[in-house]
Amino acid sequence: MKKLSTSKIFYCIYIGIIFAFFYLPIAVTMFFSFNSSKSLTHFTGFSMRWYVNLISDNEIMAAVSVSISIAIFATIIATILGTITSIGLSKCKKIVRELLLNVNNVPIMNPEIVTAIGFMILFSSLRISKGYMTMLLAHIAFCTPYVITSVYPKVKTLDPNLVDAALDLGATPFQALYKVLLPMLKEGIFAGALLAFTMSFDDFVISYFVTGNGVSNISIIVYNMTKRTNPTINALSTIVISIIFLTMLVVKIVPYIVRKRRKETLHEKIS
Amino acid sequence: MKHFKHMTGPYILWSAAFIVIPFLLIILYAFTDGGLSLMDASFSLDSFQEIIDPLYVTVFSRSFQVGLITTALCFLLGYPMAYMITKFDEKVQPILILFTTIPMWINLLLRTYAWISILSDNGIFNMLLGKLGLAPVSIMYTGISVNIGLVCNFLPFMILPIYTSLSKMDPALLEAAYDLGANKLQAFTRVVFKYSLPGVLNGVILTFLMAISAFVIPKLLGGGQYTLLGNLIENQFISVGNWNFGSAISFILAVVILFTISFLKRIDPDDED
Amino acid sequence: MKKLVSVLLIAVMVLSLGLTGCGKKDKEKPVLKIFNAGEYIDKSLLTEFEKAYNCRIIYETFDSNESMYTKIRTGETYDILVPSDYMIERLIKEDYLAKIDWNQISNKENLNPDVMGQKFDPDNEYSVPYFYGTVGILYNKKVVDKADLADGWNLLRNKKYKGDIYMYDSERDSFMVALKALGYSMNTSNKTKIQKAYRWLVKQRDTMDVVYVTDDVIDNMISGNKSIAVVYSGDGALIMSENEDMDFFEPEEGTNMWTDCMVITKSCKNTELAHEFINFMCDVDNAYLNSQEVGYSSAVQPAFEMMRDNDFKGIDAFIPRTGHDKDQVFRYQKNTLRKYYSELWTKVKAY
Repeated sequence: MKKLSTSKIFYCIYIGIIFAFFYLPIAVTMFFSFNSSKSLTHFTGFSMRWYVNLISDNEIMAAVSVSISIAIFATIIATILGTITSIGLSKCKKIVRELLLNVNNVPIMNPEIVTAIGFMILFSSLRISKGYMTMLLAHIAFCTPYVITSVYPKVKTLDPNLVDAALDLGATPFQALYKVLLPMLKEGIFAGALLAFTMSFDDFVISYFVTGNGVSNISIIVYNMTKRTNPTINALSTIVISIIFLTMLVVKIVPYIVRKRRKETLHEKIS
Repeated sequence: MKHFKHMTGPYILWSAAFIVIPFLLIILYAFTDGGLSLMDASFSLDSFQEIIDPLYVTVFSRSFQVGLITTALCFLLGYPMAYMITKFDEKVQPILILFTTIPMWINLLLRTYAWISILSDNGIFNMLLGKLGLAPVSIMYTGISVNIGLVCNFLPFMILPIYTSLSKMDPALLEAAYDLGANKLQAFTRVVFKYSLPGVLNGVILTFLMAISAFVIPKLLGGGQYTLLGNLIENQFISVGNWNFGSAISFILAVVILFTISFLKRIDPDDED
Repeated sequence: MKKLVSVLLIAVMVLSLGLTGCGKKDKEKPVLKIFNAGEYIDKSLLTEFEKAYNCRIIYETFDSNESMYTKIRTGETYDILVPSDYMIERLIKEDYLAKIDWNQISNKENLNPDVMGQKFDPDNEYSVPYFYGTVGILYNKKVVDKADLADGWNLLRNKKYKGDIYMYDSERDSFMVALKALGYSMNTSNKTKIQKAYRWLVKQRDTMDVVYVTDDVIDNMISGNKSIAVVYSGDGALIMSENEDMDFFEPEEGTNMWTDCMVITKSCKNTELAHEFINFMCDVDNAYLNSQEVGYSSAVQPAFEMMRDNDFKGIDAFIPRTGHDKDQVFRYQKNTLRKYYSELWTKVKAY
């Protein structure tokens, strides 16, 4: 046991270093968002001026709302499209299925930039004016394959007779879908939706190539602003990162607490 | 049973419009010379002839180099990390994994932006060096800064699949190996590593794929003279306006990647499809 | 759990509808779409204009004249552009621009007559000057030996300063530097001369470890990250006003005298509003604010004088050199020549 603990110490140090590599840059960015001067290297005093700047900056606020609304719409549509496709896939002919799954893999394996210019060429050869709609379409298009890859494996594990049983018992096809299939696929659908949301919210490359008319998301605005030192980006970073951090902690830790409490109540009941 | 068959219909149309047609358009542009419009385009291999220029070959090989270095660094840093995480208590593991995952959720641009202020010539890193009495080093706008940015961003994508493979391994296997007389190294290479191979493969594919086609990180941390394939493509589409050449490079990149992946996937013993 | 999810989903949908709904009211207002270079305007002026004329401005920025041109070629439409001289000439020739109705520009008399009527648009039929200046070398007085300045553009190939140089990532300006260093015209179409300039640039990047930057040069030079940079005079002035160690000079071999102008495109539907905007930017107070923010020499003469005598007093980069016989203005290049240059430029950077 003693011997193990020395190696544990080494493990802790190593993991600590890697985490430092991940989090130090982020921490530094957050730290300087509270700087009273424009410097990103010398801390001259605490101030909230960059947060005030951020809120009064219409451009950034517009970008935030574009990022959020696109991520929400893309997630909803991609999840619906991906789920019905996954269910359909298990029932259709082998050739169609294999072909579609292979096509579906292309955007996942293809370099993002190639996918992006594909969309760009598509939209400009159709003479579609670039902007919010093109960005949304592109986001749905690159998110759906991820939903399918997380829902379809779950569909495959289902008993194929399940739907038949439901239908035999008098359910309409819609009821069979809604009451039998979907609840069983819940986990996969949720995982796919989560993936779609983060992919869309984080995206830069594809958005950069398909946007126009002054529509930009957070990534694009940050990209345009990196040329000049601008602690307003630090303030934006701090807010975005804090929200993500809190959400992740809540999503992971709340179920843990709930489970624990359930166990406790169970114990109480038994005793 | 036939009820849900037609549910693939919408996606067949959708993927034709948003996956197949864009790809065909890239191919169309790559093999023609009509400039920005397809109206007066005719078949031509000019773009491909241009790529043979030693200079563009340099860009290709530099991108591969960056891809390989990044993947190797991610593997060397990530494998021990994944392995060590599995050695922790089962209650601690999810927390460590959570902290590995969180950076993936944070916008890539924001993370790269964070590195700029640290690495630039008068940035925090050099300020610290100065406080320690050391001479400042010029890291920003070099291959080093690009690699730091890439590794920091892609490392979680290496750690997670390896961890997943390793955590599936039955510890009894390792004991069995020791019982059968294997030493530590043998036990590791013959049992542990073999078991984690699918995860390693997945991690390697992911990081290599992302690194070879990266263009934001090289652009922000490498400056205009640090051209990788991604930058070359962006440049052709955004500033030069030579879509034929840009498409030709994209086409080659896509073919190389798709080929490499399907080759690597074939090695993967776990892959059922 | 299910209820929670559906409540969340509904909340989120309402929220996002609200977010997009906010824009709805604005959508009925007239829209003006402006395409300008990055870091090239005081953005508060845009908000002010929006308020004063009850309109909505869609503001986009570009990295270089070339990327602006590519965007227009691929079918993007804008109302107002702010390109440089040679690009204006190209846009006129290719029929992208609408004529300016000078009757609607009441602030016309504020404009500096010296920057009007240049060869790219002799009667200013299409363009209203915005900022003007030269390209020169910004250097750190503490590091760079005064005697070395006699090298002119070849200072950029002085081994002493290896790894200490920023070049500007712009096709024509970089070739200008090389062509001028070699003593040629920067508008040459002679391929051997262009090849020589190309080799000059390649040699420079190989032996000097130069870094190609765009607007990031401003902060990098303000914090003194490197000692030498090729900059536009306006950026030079801005940097000098923040960092006293920096000085600016225009090499004797000649340089590029550029003028950036506001132009209205043919696709512009609300030309009246577009003219109002141009007139608004030519207003003395607005031009002064604008010049203060970006540091460039305004084509609005009173604003330029106010800056010269107050804010940027003693900063020579703010007063672009005039009357030097080797200085030139970029001229239109035929498409084949343009392609030739841009191919070589891609190669210089990619090597």
